[in-house]
Amino acid sequence: MKQKTWLRRVSAKTAGPDGMNRRTFLRRSGFAVGSGALAGMLPLNLMQKAWAADKSNIPMDGVKTVYRRTVCTHCSVGCGVIAEVQNGVWTGQEPDFESPLNLGSHCPKGASVRHYGMGDRRLKYPLKLVDGQWKRIGWEQAIDEIGDRLLKIRRESGPDALFFCGSSKASNEHSYLQRKFAAFWGSNNCDHQARICHSTTVAGVANTWGYGAMTNSYNDMHNCKGMLFVGSNAAEAHPVAMQHILRGKENGAKMIVVDPRFTRTAAHADVYVRLRPGTDVAFIWGLLWHIFNNGWEDKKYIDQRVWGIDDIRKEVMKWSPGAVEDVTGVPESKMLEVAKIMAENRPGTIVWCMGGTQHHIGNNMTRAYCVFQLALGNIGVSGGGANIFRGHDNVQGATDVGPNCHTLPGYYGLSDGAWQHWARVWDVDYEWLKSRFDMERKYDAGGGKMAYTMNIPGIPVSRWIDGVLEDPQNMSQKGNFRAVFFQGHACNSQTRGPEMKKALEKLEMVVINDPFPTHMSVMSERKNNTYLLPACTQFETTGSVTASNRSIQWREKVMEPLFESIPDHVVLYRLASKLGFADKLFKNIKVSNGEPQIEDILREINRGTWTIGYTGQSPERLQLHAKYRGTFNTTTLKAEGGPCDGDYYGLPWPAWGTPELKHPGTPILYDTSKSVAEGGLCFRARFGTEHNGENLLAEGSYSKGSEIKDGYPEFTYGMLERLGWAGELSDKEMAVIRRVAGISESASGKESSDGKLDKVNWKTDLSGGIQRVAIKHGCAPFGNAKARCVVWTFPDPVPIHREPLYTPRFDLVAKYPTYEDRKAFWRLPTRYQSIQKQDHSQKYPLAFISGRLTEHQGGGAATRSNPWLAKLQPEMFVEINPADANNAGVRHWHYVWLEGAEGGRIKVRAMVTERVGRGVVWTPFHFGGWFQGKDLIDRYPEGSAPFVRGEACNTATTYGYDSVTQMQETKATLCRIQPV
Amino acid sequence: MARMKFLCDVERCIECNACVTACNNENDVPWGMNRRHVVTIKDGERGEKSVSVACMHCTDAPCAAVCPVDCFYTTDDGIVLHDKDLCIGCGYCFYACPFGAPQYPQQEAFGVRGKMDKCTFCAGGPLPDNSEAEYRKYGRNRIAEGKLPLCAEMCATKSLLGGDGNVVSEIYRKRVFNRGGRPLTWSWQTAYSFKEKNK
Amino acid sequence: MKFKLWFTAAAIAGVILYGCYESPDITYHEPGVYKGKEDPLLAKLRQPDRQQQLVERFKKVQTDR
Repeated sequence: MKQKTWLRRVSAKTAGPDGMNRRTFLRRSGFAVGSGALAGMLPLNLMQKAWAADKSNIPMDGVKTVYRRTVCTHCSVGCGVIAEVQNGVWTGQEPDFESPLNLGSHCPKGASVRHYGMGDRRLKYPLKLVDGQWKRIGWEQAIDEIGDRLLKIRRESGPDALFFCGSSKASNEHSYLQRKFAAFWGSNNCDHQARICHSTTVAGVANTWGYGAMTNSYNDMHNCKGMLFVGSNAAEAHPVAMQHILRGKENGAKMIVVDPRFTRTAAHADVYVRLRPGTDVAFIWGLLWHIFNNGWEDKKYIDQRVWGIDDIRKEVMKWSPGAVEDVTGVPESKMLEVAKIMAENRPGTIVWCMGGTQHHIGNNMTRAYCVFQLALGNIGVSGGGANIFRGHDNVQGATDVGPNCHTLPGYYGLSDGAWQHWARVWDVDYEWLKSRFDMERKYDAGGGKMAYTMNIPGIPVSRWIDGVLEDPQNMSQKGNFRAVFFQGHACNSQTRGPEMKKALEKLEMVVINDPFPTHMSVMSERKNNTYLLPACTQFETTGSVTASNRSIQWREKVMEPLFESIPDHVVLYRLASKLGFADKLFKNIKVSNGEPQIEDILREINRGTWTIGYTGQSPERLQLHAKYRGTFNTTTLKAEGGPCDGDYYGLPWPAWGTPELKHPGTPILYDTSKSVAEGGLCFRARFGTEHNGENLLAEGSYSKGSEIKDGYPEFTYGMLERLGWAGELSDKEMAVIRRVAGISESASGKESSDGKLDKVNWKTDLSGGIQRVAIKHGCAPFGNAKARCVVWTFPDPVPIHREPLYTPRFDLVAKYPTYEDRKAFWRLPTRYQSIQKQDHSQKYPLAFISGRLTEHQGGGAATRSNPWLAKLQPEMFVEINPADANNAGVRHWHYVWLEGAEGGRIKVRAMVTERVGRGVVWTPFHFGGWFQGKDLIDRYPEGSAPFVRGEACNTATTYGYDSVTQMQETKATLCRIQPV
Repeated sequence: MARMKFLCDVERCIECNACVTACNNENDVPWGMNRRHVVTIKDGERGEKSVSVACMHCTDAPCAAVCPVDCFYTTDDGIVLHDKDLCIGCGYCFYACPFGAPQYPQQEAFGVRGKMDKCTFCAGGPLPDNSEAEYRKYGRNRIAEGKLPLCAEMCATKSLLGGDGNVVSEIYRKRVFNRGGRPLTWSWQTAYSFKEKNK
Repeated sequence: MKFKLWFTAAAIAGVILYGCYESPDITYHEPGVYKGKEDPLLAKLRQPDRQQQLVERFKKVQTDR
């Protein structure tokens, strides 16, 4: 600015319209003030970033923009994401409005994914903890050191001394590889988030009617007339699903929400029911009491397709309105209202999430929900179903083909037959595979039955700390865990934080392979032998991912791995090479430049996963669906015209047979109104043909176009012979069947050698011929049976109510007690009675539950490192009812100590709100980076601490595990609250 | 010519903040500021409702009326924009706006606020369209690309609609019609004693 | 000496006189009229097909198709 002009202006007349220009005067005075202010600038932490200076990944003018279509990495709705990439940099995000699943919409997490490409808080290079300081090392050194120690541990303590935790965020190919890696390492001690999420759902639902997955889809909810949400907060956990739910509501559906909290979902409901945590079984039986009482059940449906309802009637008779009100807190009028709405508004759907699954009787609850829908005849119809909203983006896929400790990919289990099947698919010698396992002696597989660890389910992720801390004498394996390798799993989502800290400090080696440093990297006082390996996000790799409705979507790679991060399949390749079994692990998977080919991995999945029909979804078909996704109808998910005409979007499994069969996928499970070839199905004949002299097969109900007009068992080669259809198998198919049966090529004719040929069935036939022929005749390969209401292999054959281990109603424990303690359950002793027999409610009077926020995901390491999300939910808090707050002397937004019933304490802010009822408190579970009042920011590697940190609620949660799946009981525990 | 409007369908808004985050993403809004925010009334109680609010692009914009340096201008279809080079950060537009749309990035001595920033309906500012300079100062210019504001395009439940006012009102009218001309939520029936016919 | 004094006084007077100069052409402040740079977007939006493009975009992306 010219000195002379300044002088000139200031000395002129100031008044009047001919005077100095007001704008220039103000501008100059502002400048003067500003320059003075710059000198005395206060160092406010985050607030004064100048507007223009701080932007990164800016869209470049004149540079070509490439569009990459992928799928969001957060929840199971599977929203499409369009990334605008320029020169390899992710500079923009567009709505994927052609996607039939989300129609371009996102929740805040999906709207923020571009930040993964900015990466300022990500792990950039491998780090090793040396005397409490993070030291940068190279990948080669990391793999060498980790591999050497693993080999040493294996030599000294056997392969079961490693807990290898895989991930529900890993794609199908990555998670499948994780399971295969664990198998080739020689241990079943692998697991993923499904354990603590919907494991009770999968077990309960699969044991009721065959498959344990969402039966319909989010889109199908447009057709609902009634919707019952029990323990599901879709508005915060699955926001884009609310689009479909609210569309259904606008089409006339009645919406009922049952939850201890008045959630954001409840705010949109027609009827809201407040329920005491842990009393879902009583609630459902209470509804059925009214339904049976008024004869509202669907009698024809029950006669044809349901077995065991009379045993249910007997149990339901105990749940009169008075008993229900005592246990659940719901009055009779409300129960009748809900039952009437669901009975009068059919087809209706039931939706449940963690509120129903995370209990030590979770398997009872999930089965109760199923029985409720069976009684109303709502399963297998559009607008009905059991719509289970899964959690992570690929928890469905990882459950189907990934690292589960209790089964090999495809729910084949861990029997010798299952291992032999997969040995065939993997093209490795079964005996060699066996030799990888600890074959020194057998262990107690539960109830005194002895088996090798190869056939015993491994220790699940909910109990991994007991794998470290438990007395080895009490464990069904050689010894404790000496090392853990967490590839994509947070630890602040598992219970018993203080014990977890002890476990971490006891371990010899801890490896965390994640894009961000998780709570596990800082929560303990480990000083050495801890590794942080930078993983790629799902945007830096390609692969397929399975949404909750079983649709499989293909992801395109958006950008090259940032910094020195490496995608999971390459990490596993390098580690397997170091450990000596890479050549076998990748026998039929092409590896170029040290990277296994993703499409080949999917093709291997296609070759082996016959049980759930992951066989028809070849990479080519999935890529075609991704390209022409705009041609699919947004309610039916069927392509109308276009190159995918007749297919259902994402070929929802089961897509039977080989890809050449071109099965369109099964959009609605158990729907008999369509032929199997067109995506219809019936209930699976999984439990035999009869029980106690009663017929378990369907009676008078069968798929459209079925040549067998009644129930039938699952298809075997022998059955095809008896039906006279075996001749339709091609020579190639027959050759494969004979190979599977173990009959050599030289054996002549079609004679079944010792019945071996007869036993080859729709699950083990690697040619897909048995499935093809069955479908050709209109039959479902897995049989046509009734759904069963009574699971005779479960601890409670008829689902019953049992009080939570930590219950605020100790007076009800005598009438509804829990189980006896168990000795060897998933390799560990598991306590029930010994905990419940004590009255904890005097000292800890408040029921403590936790749940989701829409802005964060899972353990939160990723979302809390994203400023756009972190700024919306920066602090950990506990919701407490005004009455309880006044009783405890707690004021709104002041800090309190929340102490759990086992002594773990967390320091959080109190949010006093009517959202929670009296006697219940709620916290989000996404926070980490604090431990019992201390901010652990100093323990994070430089530049990688999340923007916001807080207490992990699971530092204060307690012991309690499902009686079938070891799911943790986080939705019903106790605590007390005191002001700080 | 049609007027550009925002409408947040309160019956569908679930307070998810996707609109807020989409805007933060598209315009790289710094920490401490949100061009759009979601307001919830009766939080945690029956009758809880949320609505997403940003600049409403008023016809007779109060911010423009009070600006001492006249840095505001309105496009023919009603989008209210401003020139940051002229802005002196006086804060008058913030006082005038009934929605709290104008925001300031700095908080320093003598009340220095920095240049006012607000929702631009994703139409950038008075610099060459889609240039790097325009992005750094004003955020993305989607209107110049033939697209609409990202907050509306990414709304989780299609509650927030942003675009030609005639089309917005047509969509909303259809929804209200589908809903039977009244909201279906809990408190409405209680307030108006609407009894469902028993079948 | 005296000459130096008069010379300095005259020079200072000259500078002050020069600094006190006011240009006769002043800028009137017109309240309410935009004073900033021209925005190329306005011209773009006046083109006839632009509005139609935005309406089509709306129907593609924001409706319950």
